[in-house]
Amino acid sequence: MIDTLLLWLFAGTALVAAAMMLVLRHPMRVALALAATMLSLAGVYALLGVHAIAIFQVLIYVGAVMVFMVYAIMLLDVRDRSFTGRFSWLLVPGVVAAVAFLAVLAHGVWRGLPEPVASAAGAHSAVSSFGIQRFSLEFLNEYWLHFELVSVLLVAAVVAALAVLEVGRRNRG
Amino acid sequence: MSHLPTAIVLLPLLGFLVNGLAGNRLGPRFVSVVGCGLPIAAFALAVMGLLDLRGAAWTPRIDEVYSWLVIGDNRFDVAFYLDRLSVVMALIVTGVGSLIHVYSTGYMKDDKSYARYFAYLNLFLFFMLLLVLGRSMLVLFVGWEGVGLASYLLIGFWFEDPDKARAGKKAFITNRIGDAGFLLGMFVLYEAFGTLDMDRINVAFLAGTPGVSATLVGILLFIGASGKSAQIPLHVWLPDAMAGPTPVSALIHAATMVTAGVYLVARMSGIYVNAPEASAVIAAIGAATAFFAATIAVVQTDIKKVLAYSTISQLGFMFVAAGVGAYGVSVFHLYTHAFFKACLFLGAGSVIHAMSGEQDIRKMGGLARKIPVTFATFVLATAAIAGIPPLAGFFSKDEILWFAFGSSRGGSGLLYATMATTALLTSFYMFRLVWLTFFGRSRVAPGAEHHIHESPLSMTSVLVVLAILSAIGGFLSIPHFLEPQLPLPGIVPALEHYETPLLVVSILLALAGLAGAAYVYGGDASRANRLAARFKTLHRVLSGKYYVDEAYEALIGRPLLWISDRVFLRIGDRALFDGTLHGFAALGRSAAAGFARVQSGNLHLYALLVLIGIVASIALGWRHV
Amino acid sequence: MLISLSAVLFALGLLGVIVRRNVLVMLMCMELMLNAVNLSLVTFAQQTATAAGAVLVLLVFVVATAEIAIAIPIVLLLVKRKDVLDLGLYNDLKG
Repeated sequence: MIDTLLLWLFAGTALVAAAMMLVLRHPMRVALALAATMLSLAGVYALLGVHAIAIFQVLIYVGAVMVFMVYAIMLLDVRDRSFTGRFSWLLVPGVVAAVAFLAVLAHGVWRGLPEPVASAAGAHSAVSSFGIQRFSLEFLNEYWLHFELVSVLLVAAVVAALAVLEVGRRNRG
Repeated sequence: MSHLPTAIVLLPLLGFLVNGLAGNRLGPRFVSVVGCGLPIAAFALAVMGLLDLRGAAWTPRIDEVYSWLVIGDNRFDVAFYLDRLSVVMALIVTGVGSLIHVYSTGYMKDDKSYARYFAYLNLFLFFMLLLVLGRSMLVLFVGWEGVGLASYLLIGFWFEDPDKARAGKKAFITNRIGDAGFLLGMFVLYEAFGTLDMDRINVAFLAGTPGVSATLVGILLFIGASGKSAQIPLHVWLPDAMAGPTPVSALIHAATMVTAGVYLVARMSGIYVNAPEASAVIAAIGAATAFFAATIAVVQTDIKKVLAYSTISQLGFMFVAAGVGAYGVSVFHLYTHAFFKACLFLGAGSVIHAMSGEQDIRKMGGLARKIPVTFATFVLATAAIAGIPPLAGFFSKDEILWFAFGSSRGGSGLLYATMATTALLTSFYMFRLVWLTFFGRSRVAPGAEHHIHESPLSMTSVLVVLAILSAIGGFLSIPHFLEPQLPLPGIVPALEHYETPLLVVSILLALAGLAGAAYVYGGDASRANRLAARFKTLHRVLSGKYYVDEAYEALIGRPLLWISDRVFLRIGDRALFDGTLHGFAALGRSAAAGFARVQSGNLHLYALLVLIGIVASIALGWRHV
Repeated sequence: MLISLSAVLFALGLLGVIVRRNVLVMLMCMELMLNAVNLSLVTFAQQTATAAGAVLVLLVFVVATAEIAIAIPIVLLLVKRKDVLDLGLYNDLKG
């Protein structure tokens, strides 16, 4: 029961924070709103019983990605014009298209899938499936290839970052 | 022996190829030998053909060469046909042609395009022989066009002079206008008979009702003939054609090519015998042409132009004869005309050669003693054309006048009167030419006076031969020879007894012309100037050649040019075609520019477009889920 | 319900990319989109009780990290050129 309540709470927070993201003026506040969304989503994951992912969400997303974004925001100029003119010239068409998009998706979701509302009832069974030990075993047994490929991607990212650093150094003189 | 006609035709072609391709490298002597030798050989072969025909009792010989075109059920062969008429024509063409070739070796000696000249001359001979020896109208037409081509090439021989080149163009184009009629006539004939073989067509016409209007075909073919033979209204090219070398004028525009029209009418006599209206048209046009050309010749001051108008006039005589059914007589006049007109033209060439290029007879005079051989031959030929007996012209011209008067197929008093007046004028202007050129006080420019010399032997020998032929040629009665093939029309019985009086009248006309010319132009030619002053308007109209060229230019030339420029060039070509093309290009460019605006560099727009695309694809794809 | 939330979050993220001018805010909206996808993946994994969804989420984490690690330096370099963060003023690729 409380699980359902917490679920709704976390979901609502995520939604509100996401909506705030679109409206807030200062990028730093937007970053904080995004961090709030991510944390709420981590809460949802945890409530769903997928603890491993919840932990990784906090560690990676909030802990690394958002920090990096905040760092970048801090590096840049506050007096930029985009603070006053928040919205681009495509505000109205964008809203219309987004509403259409939601309408289409909603139509599809409600039409097709017999949707059992994700309840915390399945959480306990999920615990057994998604416990860290079991999850990691299954991960590395079945999906080791994906793991390796992804590590290649990370190496590529590191190399790219170094290259960007080099370009930056050359630009600076 | 059966391929004799082919050999006759091919020899000049060989000359053209050799001289045309290698003449410049092989030198003038070689060119002369090949260029003259091959036509002479062709003449020899033509004589052999004549003897061969006689041996075969004059049955026509057909020489089938090869099958040219086979289109479905239609078959067009190249075949040559040797009968009385074509052997006469072949002899004239090769005989007079060879003589003129020999003359040209002297006349064109210092010209830098000597080899090209002989190549073209041989080419002309080849096409002319195709024309006269062809069995099918198609082969004749190939020859017809070919001689037009050769005429163009030779008139514009000195093409660096734009006036001369233009004269060549004028000749060719005027010919082509006549050819339109010729082609239409051929189409009608082919449609009716399924063949273009002239002997078969004649037989079909003579046999009975052929199912096609003989008058229509007759007039169409005559349109072609009048283009080639310079009858009104297509006569305008012949005086301008005098821009070519004088031997060319002699060969093509006096003796042979211009007579192709007469040959065509005579050859297709089977049609004209059955088409009295068409024959009447031919006679009328021939008479009108003869008369008008003679009146113009009276006031011309260029020696070659006088002869050119004289040729037009004499061709009119030939057509009058054909128009009243006396085809053999027209060929007879063709034959005698070839001799004396060639002699006159070559004599004129000799005079021009002596005068170092001067052609205006007002600047001549008193040349008789200085160039005696030229003078003697010229006077003899003039007497022949004037119709003084017993020279050749007298016989042929008198026959024409007689049939014009009394032929049961169109002879009339009016026709006779016109032709008689023309004969008088002919004698008058020809002797005028003689007097102004050879007699009287010399009006030669002092600088040219001491250059005057007799022409070399290559030229004078030919003049002598032609003069002799002009004298005795009339005794060979061509009409009688051609009678089995081209029967002479009957004489209206009531008029038969006029024959001898008219004969006397002919002689008197010739002598009257001589006397008149001597009176007006003899002495110091002051009487001529007084006459010209008295009839100033007439003199002006005649000198302006009745302003026919100007009328054509104003009525046809300028409007056509206007239409071409205003309608077809500006509206049609520039506005419509170019405009459409440029319009398409502009359309493409503007469409591309419009499409390029999608790539605005604005990321927001790109993202929006992605979203719209997603929405669209999902919306369209939901039904399949 | 969670699927619907995922859809709404995704739409909000995409809207944010279209609507906001600041380039860093646009990046963050793209992160929001990734999160929405993660949410739907986790929901599916939990509903079907397979591990595949969770594994995919892990991979998405890695990709997102790599992406942000490169994207931000690129943005920094770009901004250092023009000195404005307003993406509407960047139209060098026009035409």
